[in-house]
Amino acid sequence: MKKDILAVFGIVLIIALLISGTHIQSADEYYLTHIDDITPESETVTLSIRCDTVLQNYENLDPALKSAEFVPPDGVILPPTEYVLREGDTVFDILERAVRYNKIQMEFQGAKESPFGSVYIQGIHYLYEFSCGSLSGWTYRVDGEFPHYGCSLYKLSDGQNIEWIYTCALGQDVGAGWMGEDEK
Amino acid sequence: MKAFANIHPLVEMTYFMSVLIVSMFFSHPVLQTEALIGGILFCAALQGKKAARDIGFYLTLFLMVAVTNPLFSHNGVTPLFFLNGNPVTLEAVLYGVLLAVTVIGVLLWCKAYGEIMTSDKFLYLFGKAIPKLSLVLSMALRFIPAYLRQSRRVSRAQKAMGLYSGKSITDRVKNQARVFIAMISWSLENAMETSASMKARGYGKKGRTNFSLFRFYASDGVLLCLCLLLFMIPIMGAACGITRFTFYPRVDKIETTPAAIVVYAAFGMLALLPFILEVKEAIVWNCYRSKI
Amino acid sequence: MELLQVENLSFRYPKAERDALHQINFSVNAGEFILLCGVSGCGKTTLLRLLKKELAPVGEKSGRILYESKSLNSPEKAGFVQQNPESQIVTDKVWHELAFGLENMGAPTEVIRRRVGEMASFFGIEGWFRRKTDELSGGQKQLLNLASVMVMQPDLLILDEPTGQLDPIAAADFISTLQKINRELGLTILLAEHRLEEVFPIADRVLVLENGSVILDDKPREIGRKLSPCHPMFYAMPSAVRIRQGLETNDPYPLTVREGREFLERNFKGDTQMPTEPKLPEGDTAAELKNVWFRYEKDAPDVLRGVSLKVRCGEVFCILGGNGAGKTTALNVIAGLDRAYRGKVMIGGRTIKDYKGGALYRNNIALLPQNPQTVFVKETVRADLAEISEAMGIPKKEHKNHIEKIAAKLGISNLLDRHPYDLSGGEQQKCALAKVLLSNPKILLLDEPTKGIDAYAKQNLQKILRGLSQNGKAVILVTHDVEFAAEISDRCAFIFDGEILSADTPQKFFAENSFYTTAANRMARGLWKNAVTCEQVIECCRAEGARL
Repeated sequence: MKKDILAVFGIVLIIALLISGTHIQSADEYYLTHIDDITPESETVTLSIRCDTVLQNYENLDPALKSAEFVPPDGVILPPTEYVLREGDTVFDILERAVRYNKIQMEFQGAKESPFGSVYIQGIHYLYEFSCGSLSGWTYRVDGEFPHYGCSLYKLSDGQNIEWIYTCALGQDVGAGWMGEDEK
Repeated sequence: MKAFANIHPLVEMTYFMSVLIVSMFFSHPVLQTEALIGGILFCAALQGKKAARDIGFYLTLFLMVAVTNPLFSHNGVTPLFFLNGNPVTLEAVLYGVLLAVTVIGVLLWCKAYGEIMTSDKFLYLFGKAIPKLSLVLSMALRFIPAYLRQSRRVSRAQKAMGLYSGKSITDRVKNQARVFIAMISWSLENAMETSASMKARGYGKKGRTNFSLFRFYASDGVLLCLCLLLFMIPIMGAACGITRFTFYPRVDKIETTPAAIVVYAAFGMLALLPFILEVKEAIVWNCYRSKI
Repeated sequence: MELLQVENLSFRYPKAERDALHQINFSVNAGEFILLCGVSGCGKTTLLRLLKKELAPVGEKSGRILYESKSLNSPEKAGFVQQNPESQIVTDKVWHELAFGLENMGAPTEVIRRRVGEMASFFGIEGWFRRKTDELSGGQKQLLNLASVMVMQPDLLILDEPTGQLDPIAAADFISTLQKINRELGLTILLAEHRLEEVFPIADRVLVLENGSVILDDKPREIGRKLSPCHPMFYAMPSAVRIRQGLETNDPYPLTVREGREFLERNFKGDTQMPTEPKLPEGDTAAELKNVWFRYEKDAPDVLRGVSLKVRCGEVFCILGGNGAGKTTALNVIAGLDRAYRGKVMIGGRTIKDYKGGALYRNNIALLPQNPQTVFVKETVRADLAEISEAMGIPKKEHKNHIEKIAAKLGISNLLDRHPYDLSGGEQQKCALAKVLLSNPKILLLDEPTKGIDAYAKQNLQKILRGLSQNGKAVILVTHDVEFAAEISDRCAFIFDGEILSADTPQKFFAENSFYTTAANRMARGLWKNAVTCEQVIECCRAEGARL
């Protein structure tokens, strides 16, 4: 019985490791990413990460996060910055490169594990889904519109403006209606 | 190793519930460590040398639980290294260790519970409130070992006829399935006879009473009060936010205010209570024996 | 005073073609010890259950059952104990089991405490009062069942073959407890039994049931006289009665061993010799144990300590011994279910380890376990037999033929489409034997084959086993049943404390024992030391018969 419990546990662990792979990097290695230099010919997009809504709902915030270290007083985690767009880049690719370059913590669910068939962003900069009330989480907007589908499915083109925004009310507090009924 | 087992079931139940509630719902490193130590000592006192046999199991489980958390949770400000692009953080590792302490602690306490709260005690406690349920439980406890024994007999009998006696997995699975089907018939047959025996002894009449062998002594009362008191202190502590402890994104410092110390001490005493009782009884018994 | 009267009682199960009970009349006086006997399926259980209102089967009933001249039957008044000690136990603790009936009656705690304590000490249960019911031996379980009925202070105790599943020592204990209850408490007892050696002499009256009718209702001694030796029940009679029946004299019927011995010594001198013994079969060695040691766990004590034995083809070999002596373990080691940690097990000239996969059980060895129920896994006997035929690689077309052949041989053709659990003990055993034999074993192992079956079924089993051994099969059986071993075996061995102490022909074997021997031998051993079975004693008497 006891051996069985251990065996099941061990097998689950091994499977999880096999599925996710075992690519190990040290922290320095990981952050040492190459960001393409912007040249006049390169196509670029702009990315920003903000959490203003948290400041408006500060009382709902997880007490462990109630500090300027985790929630900047101005709500800006990453100010609008231009990044070079590589061939076939999605919103997720840009985000990943940006947080890596800026050493911002991020956790996501891979496309394989997620029910949406796309990468799902669970948390950025220690702010996780549900960290500020049960309707809170990360969403994104491209050129002012909410795509309402996975960030690793959205292919970007030159000059687009991506905003990652933390919402405390399923997007309604940042202007996203339910399923495309955006309030303009 | 009788001291704790001979206490009135009501006290025992209250005690176990108190300890289990704290060790299940409080994720505080000091309280969890106390619960774990108390659990280890209690199980050791209850089982003696036998307890040592399970050390391997608990250690492996401990490691596995501790390792699992950082693999799946990537929150925390101190990345140790990156696994497939996700950080494995110190905070997640520590939280994993706490989870492991909690899991092992709860397992040990449940084991002690199983040793101490024999079915008759459980039935005594819940029998008056839910008479039917208590009887059903008692019958289930009676039935399970009988079922297992019979099932083993059937499967040996099948093996000795050479039916699916191979070592291959298909053979074994097939054999299990056949045995299971046979066991259903057996269970029904058995249930018929048991119900006849119950009816023959007047089961089903109105006004059934519940008999038990337990008596409530004054010392049980004292112990009950002590137990409740020691339990209320951490609960109050929780209400005041003293026992709050977070790991994400950064591990809290362990509080050392006087109030916090009182909470730690109270729960530490609660967790060690049975061990203290066992030791006290052992000493008393030794003194008594040396005087004879 | 008449406690119970049964008047013209008839009963028929739904859809049955004939009455299960037909026009039964009898009465029971307070304080009487009544024995009810009859072959399996004669209606004993039906009758007993009808007497207990709560257990009465469903069907058409006519006639009356009067209890203290009223047709009332409340559960406190009649206690009922069934055959299987296991399944009657309701709760998990001994004390709780004892209290169960009183709880149902709504008795207050203090009353329960007193009555439970009283009964526990009367039955000598104090030592295991707080134990789990699951840890008890079969004998203890049945004693507990009896005690937990007795706490309800019944006026009448009804027992349906209560010793059927017990070994002879536990059974004798149980019967003597019943006798104690009857004598010391004056309790009326109605007992159905098929093992009569001990009960028969102590009963006040015996009812013999046949096909649902009472054919005899008389004192035990008279029953012995009246029962025809051709009647199937005759095999169940005590040895003294059977020996007396075989001789033409005017002496009254002896019932106990003592009376039997007096009867023989009064009439015979013992100056004739037992006829010479039949020769032992001299076939090839079928199975051999060489210095076998076995224990269940590394730290557990040895169960077998250097057991050696050799069994030849065509031989019936009995292993006798008390509880926990290692009989069943020895059998399991031969069957390959348990592995000896030292010593050699040879099957058909090869060591048992050389048989890989299921090879050991294909045309080689088969084990009939103690509880024949464990052999069946299907809904009908036929399906079970078909399953093993298939496993033995017999083509599907020939299944039917094959099964019918074995069924005819064992006399179970009419049982093939029944559910195995609906059969009586003896029938179950025959069907289980059929299943086991379909694997065409050279060596047949049987564990306590006479447990729970009546004398008639025993006779039947004996014939079957004899037939098998004449066809060159080796039959090894372990049993408590000394009488059966004496009648069937070519050689007997006594196992004690994990060692085989002696192995010899039954006549020599039992002649050497003074206590562990058959009732017939105990009666006759002063005259003919090696007359072991009733038939042999009768033979000796007849050889000397002139004096009668």
